[in-house]
Amino acid sequence: MSEFLMYLTNGMVMGVINAISAIGVSLIVGIMRVVNFAHGELYIFAGYFSYHLSTSLGVPPLIAMPLSVFFIFLVGIGMERTLIRPTYGNEMYSLIITFVLSIVLQNAALLIFGPYPNKPPNLVSGATNIFGLYHYGNQRLLTFFISIGILLFIFYLIKKTWFGKSIRAVSQDRGMASLVGVDHFRVNMLSFGLGAALAGAAGVVIAPIFPVTPTGSSAISLNAFVVVVLGGMGSLKGCVVGGLLLGMIENLGAAYISTMYRHIFGFIILILVLVFRPWGIFGQKTQ
Amino acid sequence: MANAQQKRNFKKLWIIGFFVLLALFPPFFLSQYWLHVMIISLFYVMMASSWNLIAGFTGQVSFAHAAFSGIGAYVSGMLAVYLGLSPWLGIFVGMGVAALLGLALGYLCIRMGGIYLSLTTLGFSEILRIIITNEDQWTRGTMGLQVPGFFTEYSKTSYYYLFLIIAILILLIIYWIIHSEMGLTFRAVLNDELAASSSGINTIRVRILAFTISSAMAGLAGGLYGHYLMLITPDIPSLGQMFLVLAMVVIGGMGSFIGPIMGSFILEILSEYIRIYGEYHVLLFGLIALGISRFAPEGVMGVLGRRWKRAWA
Repeated sequence: MSEFLMYLTNGMVMGVINAISAIGVSLIVGIMRVVNFAHGELYIFAGYFSYHLSTSLGVPPLIAMPLSVFFIFLVGIGMERTLIRPTYGNEMYSLIITFVLSIVLQNAALLIFGPYPNKPPNLVSGATNIFGLYHYGNQRLLTFFISIGILLFIFYLIKKTWFGKSIRAVSQDRGMASLVGVDHFRVNMLSFGLGAALAGAAGVVIAPIFPVTPTGSSAISLNAFVVVVLGGMGSLKGCVVGGLLLGMIENLGAAYISTMYRHIFGFIILILVLVFRPWGIFGQKTQ
Repeated sequence: MANAQQKRNFKKLWIIGFFVLLALFPPFFLSQYWLHVMIISLFYVMMASSWNLIAGFTGQVSFAHAAFSGIGAYVSGMLAVYLGLSPWLGIFVGMGVAALLGLALGYLCIRMGGIYLSLTTLGFSEILRIIITNEDQWTRGTMGLQVPGFFTEYSKTSYYYLFLIIAILILLIIYWIIHSEMGLTFRAVLNDELAASSSGINTIRVRILAFTISSAMAGLAGGLYGHYLMLITPDIPSLGQMFLVLAMVVIGGMGSFIGPIMGSFILEILSEYIRIYGEYHVLLFGLIALGISRFAPEGVMGVLGRRWKRAWA
């Protein structure tokens, strides 16, 4: 029983991280109709930045983490300005460009960081006894709470602030939004940056638990895509629910069915969703 | 009018005939090594041209093209190894399995729109990689599956002609498709989906059909490739391979018939020259492909075509 609960908790920790990463994809899809295939690579880069800032340069981890996320935010803005902006309205070219970019970044990461996983230092050590049932690593608990904090911040940003309002306006009706004075170029750029930063945030919080490697990036992107389709394209609530579901299914599946096939569960979910409910849990049925 | 058209067709035939004739000669003067490079280039011609059929002509980006070639290779290879089936039959079984899987994936995703197809095909190739590496008692995993070749007496010349014949056949079929009524509907769907569907074209069925044909071609190409190398590894269905095919099409010129053919030869020959620098060729091709899709989305063929037209006008 306690074993089961532990796998479930692992699933929840992975789930909130999945949710952060998926919201990054979902924002960009919702606003720009662009799928960022380089999402996993941004996640990886953030993990490595955080490692190198804190271990090689001696920046305190608590500063290194947000700093890495900020770097990735800038990378995202740079990507949007140079590569993505000319492709608006041409879905096919944006798919091709971000896919090529993902291969370029993956090879660049192999070249710069090497193929080995690097683990940034833990913020806390030890373990806590949860309700007298089982022991759970403090670092994982902290990761869980930081992730929830990030999720709350995102929801606040999108639901309550002026920036969030303009994002939602653009994703609902681009033409109308620009008529009422929303600068949609700026919104695109900032939301692409924000989407990238969320990939970065997920990478930074997970790196101390599961060190990242350059070759793991396509699995990370895929996880985020599965969550987005499962939750419903463009739905933030869907990302949270989908992320948690995927995290738990993967962890329980890996524990009780097969470790080697951990990543297959996500794909099976994707196919099932496409067969039975292609618009996802919270998405709207259009046709 | 008809006369001018006939003349142009006649000229085209001459040019094509000239190139085919030219393609018959390499085995007489190329070294074994460069003959090998030519065979691999012909494999990429099949892959790139058939990918271009869906991406360039119907505007759907599939990331499972390499995966389908892997399916062709593994199905045919495993049939030969475990059941002793002749590779000559095996490649067609592999092609059929690739076509069926393509039909299933296409049926599932295409009605949902382009993004879904791209996501699902990416997932499909990743899953295929995981299955092949994990089921190593059957596939020999990353060690590679040793399979028999097509000819009892190994000769690069025979393989060259085999690849040449199949590549020409595939190109003929693609040429025929894009210049037939089906090709017209492909382009109609690409240019304006709404207008096409309101003029009575079943846009979804057209796309699924194109996707299935192209997957079948990838399966056939993969089967040939596997039995030529006589060693099938998970590199054949990898995303790295997918990227190479995509880069060949993008660099050569998407949506043009000649573009992917040129792209395949350029990139394959180039990668032989820069092989000594290690794995950097992927990075280099990636940067070139990014630059081309950003600044010259019609590729090398598009740029050259414009030059030629201007020179002749």
